[in-house]
Formats: sequence, C-alpha cells, structure tokens
Amino acid sequence: MTPVRLIPRGWLRLIPLMGVMVAGLGLASVPASNAIAQEPGATDKRVPPVKTPRNRKTERTAAKTDQAPPREAVEADVSTRTIAVTSAFTGTEIVVFGSVVNSRQPSAEAGYYDVIVVLEGMPTPLLARRKSNVAGLWVNTESVAYESAPSYYAIVSTRPIEEIADEPLLERNAIGLDFVRLAPAAKSAIETDPEELKAFKDAVIRLKQKEGLYLKEDYAVIFMGKSLFRSSISLPANVPVGPLTARVYLFREGELLSAFQSRVRLERSGIELWLYRFAMRQPALYGLFAVAVAVGAGLLASAAFRRRDAA
Amino acid sequence: MHIYLPIAEMSANVLLFVGMGAAVGFLSGLFGVGGGFLMTPLLIFSGIPSAVAVGTGAAQVVASSVSGAMAQYQRNNVDIKLGVVLLAGGVAGSVIGVKMVRILSLAGQFDLFVALAYVTFLGVIGILMLIESINALQSVRRGRPYSMRRPGQHNWIHGLPLKMRFHRSKLYISAIPPLMIGAFVGFLGAIMGAGGGFIMVPAMIYLLRVPTNVVVGTSLFQTVFVSAVTTIMQASENYSVDVVLALLLIVSGVIGAQYGAAAGARLRGEQLRLLLAALVLLVCFRIGWDLVVTPRELFSITATLGGM
Repeated sequence: MTPVRLIPRGWLRLIPLMGVMVAGLGLASVPASNAIAQEPGATDKRVPPVKTPRNRKTERTAAKTDQAPPREAVEADVSTRTIAVTSAFTGTEIVVFGSVVNSRQPSAEAGYYDVIVVLEGMPTPLLARRKSNVAGLWVNTESVAYESAPSYYAIVSTRPIEEIADEPLLERNAIGLDFVRLAPAAKSAIETDPEELKAFKDAVIRLKQKEGLYLKEDYAVIFMGKSLFRSSISLPANVPVGPLTARVYLFREGELLSAFQSRVRLERSGIELWLYRFAMRQPALYGLFAVAVAVGAGLLASAAFRRRDAA
Repeated sequence: MHIYLPIAEMSANVLLFVGMGAAVGFLSGLFGVGGGFLMTPLLIFSGIPSAVAVGTGAAQVVASSVSGAMAQYQRNNVDIKLGVVLLAGGVAGSVIGVKMVRILSLAGQFDLFVALAYVTFLGVIGILMLIESINALQSVRRGRPYSMRRPGQHNWIHGLPLKMRFHRSKLYISAIPPLMIGAFVGFLGAIMGAGGGFIMVPAMIYLLRVPTNVVVGTSLFQTVFVSAVTTIMQASENYSVDVVLALLLIVSGVIGAQYGAAAGARLRGEQLRLLLAALVLLVCFRIGWDLVVTPRELFSITATLGGM
C-alpha cells in the first residue's frame, strides 16, 4: 500500500542515522539525491525533490517557452537548532522560516506559492494493540508491531495539503498524516489482512494525535513578503527526546519546485541528563540511589516532625 | 508550576502530584498500609506510563513506610522478629514478581493481569473486612467486648513444624505461615506496584491472629524493606523508577503520613477497618469498571523500547 514496505529493512535503519528524509527513498530514479543527502557533516541541505515523470516533462517545456528564467528554490532554517530539555521544560515552539529564491510572487497575499513544513521525530519501534470482549472482559487480543513510526510528526502548510498537491506526490514525500511512514514489522504485515492493517494504522495516528505528538495545521505557514515565509510549530512537553528533522517543501500549482531540510536537536541537559544517564547506564546503582533518596527523605521528614512535637 | 520528569519523559504539574502524594500519605499513615494500591492507579489515571507508575510507586512506598514505621516503632508497635520472617518471604516473592512483570509486559497482558489482580484481591479483602468490621461495631454497640484474638481456638496453622515464639505479638506459631504470607504479598506487591500492606494487614489479623496494635507497625516494618528491594529490581530490570516524580510524592506523602498516623491513633480499630474496607472496595470497583464497560478507545499504543 505504501512504498515504504517495498524498501529493504536496512534502508529504514539508515534514515534516522543520516537524518535523511529524502523523498521516495528506494526509487530507482533518485540515486543522485541519496548521494547528496548522505554527505557527512552537512546538517542542512537542499534536497532535490522527487517528481513524477509528468511533472518533469511540463517543467522542461515550461523552461523552454519562458526563455529560462531563474528557477525558484527554497531556503529555510529553524529558530532553535538545539533545544535543551531541563527540569523546567514544558514544551516549546519552533519557528521555521525561509525564503523563496528567485520568487516571482508579486506580494505576500498573492498565494502564488504553497509551502509545506514537516517536522518529524526519530523513527521508533511501536506496538499497537486492540481490545476485544472476551467473556465479558475487555482484553488485548490483536496486535500489530511497527518497525518504525515517527515519534513526533507535525505538518503545517499555507493551505490544506489536499489543495496543494495530488496524493501520489504527497505520499512519495511522506507529507501529511495519511502518509506518515509507518512500517509494520514483517511478521505483522504478513499475518494481518490489509483492512486490519489500515484500521491499526488509523488508530496509531489517531492516538498519536490525541497525545499531541502528531499534529496538523492548515493555514499556519504565512508569507511575510514576496519571498519570506514563516511558521511556528509547537513541541509538546511529552515530545520524545531525540533529533528532529524539519523538511520544507515549495509548491506551485501542484508541482514540487524545491525542498529543503534542516535539523533540530532536542537534548536533555543539566540534572535531567545526569539522572537519565545514571538510570540507563547503572540501573542497579540508580535503584539503590532511589532507595537512599526515599529513606533519607522519609527519615528527615519524620525527624523534623519529632523535633517539632518535642518543642 | 511544572517540572519535567526524566524517566517518565513528560512535564508534570507539581501541585497535582504533591496533592496526590499528601492524600495518599495521609491514608497510608492512617491505615498502616504502604498506599501503593492507591498511588499506582492514581498515577496511571493521571497519565504516567504504567511501568513508570509501578516502579516509582515502589520508591514512594519505601519513604512513606519508613516514616510510618519509625512512628510505630517509637510507640513499640513493631514485632521485629515477626517482621524479619515476613520480610524473608517477601524478598523472595518480590524477585519473582518483578520477573513476572517483564514476561507479562512482553505478552501485552500486564495491564489486564494487574487489573484482575486488583479487582480480585481488593474485592475479596474489602468484603471480608467490611463484614467483620460491621459485626465488630455491632457487638461493641450491644455492649459485648469484641476480641479479634481467640486464644482457645486452634486451626491447622498450629499443627505446622518450625514453631517460633513471637513475644511482642504474644504468639507461638510455626514460621512457615508468615514466610508464605510474606512471599505471596511480596510477589503480588511487585506485580501491582504496591507494598502489599492491604493484603498483609488482613492476613496478619485473620490468619496469624496478630494483635491489631502490632499489625500496623510490623506490616510497615517489612514493607520498608520489601519495597526497597522492589525499587532496586524495577530500576535495574525495567528502567522504570523516576526519582524526580518519586521525590515529589515522597515529600508530600511523608508529611501526609504523619498526620494520618496521628489521626489513626485517635480512631478505634473497628472504625479504622470499616473505613479501610470502604476505600478498598471503592478502588476495586473503579478498576473493575474499566474491565467490563466498553472502552471508548479499543486501541492502545506502546513504545516497544526496552520491552515495556
């Protein structure tokens, strides 16, 4: 159903590592884009978008008749490259801003271009379960395991994405909640029939939306001028810690003109980092520490009360 | 006012959890139970992942019992010898229980098992206590002195070998029943994220015939150690103890427990048991409700990292 399942497993592992969200990964027509995207050290890069053959042809003819005017491209950045998750972290807002190079838009209100911004978290394994009634009790029965699902997925655009481009193009670039890259584990994919898989996929997206981790806003990208645009995306407090990728797409009449990618690092810092590392690296010692804290606090408080009672 | 919890990976309202800790602490001091059987469901209802709720609950129980146990110890209400025997069984049960949590989580049946365990034990114990305390209150009203202890009565427990003398409890019984009770409570406590006092207290009263005034202190005494072991096990096996959350609950819980213990000293035993029975049945009903009523959302998702 989705092109993702056709991709060998190894590729999926590469995606988070390289921070590459190259559209249509695994399609034979884009080896060049992979090569660019995997350049080590580069965090921001312009990504040649994958286009349908139809689009490519219309582009070429357009270029000829227009006496080759300079092509538009999109450049963007995020307000904060590194977000520190400290004990005071209550969620934050990321501003994604950018501009259209060689903009032919007469004014900010013209609506000449469409911009879609996707902010996506790491692909993480996920297990979805469904309850059914067994002898009067609601019990988890069926389950579908996902090899990867984005931990966070936000999409903002100048107008509803269905109006911006057609489905195949959106799907290839994993744009939109319907086309989030959810890869069922091979075993689940074989054992579950397609209708069931669809129901599970819908449920995962619905539940993630409920948790505030998948979100969509239709008119949240705003042009500030001929070429400058901005949008702000809220990161809830429960966002899983890890790198995020911001993808910016520039559209014109259903055609993908340009894409740009940038990264946001979401990291624990201060005492949060220390505690997390302690808990993960020396779990037994951390457990002892937790007991010591508990006993200490308990005795300290009762001692304080005793003194107060005696006085 | 919010604070970010490093292990639960969420931002929590400080006031909410402080209030929760204080309320549960008060009840724990009042009844001499760890309070975990209230704390764990409350934490889960307020959005803490269930594994973290169970793990952190254990740490909170340590702190709330340690101050409660101290208070009881000063009033000479702890039978150390009996406590140690219960504790030996409890540690063994806890170790098995934490392993069981892991196995059930992987199978996706942990939540169901926890709910069924809660409903079964809380239901049975709640009803038994309710009947018993109502009878006790009635006989008190009729002017007959009511005694929990029936010194002349002997049951099968008295026929077991390895007899030990527990001076403080005025008992001469086999060490096997306290060991078994300890192990059983330790096992269930680890699985249900509770100290197990709500099972320990009735088991000591009804099975071992321990005098009521010693029951609370001795139960708290063994709970401190069993939940300490459970905390360490949960941290190292399931990475599910959140120290920041625990500290919030502890500080408020310890203060609540002091007031609870003071209030408990003023109430009569029968009244105390009636209240505890009502509370136990309430929690039982609330959990059972979710099992039977058609859920609004049939699906659930869990991150499979770390197996929980």
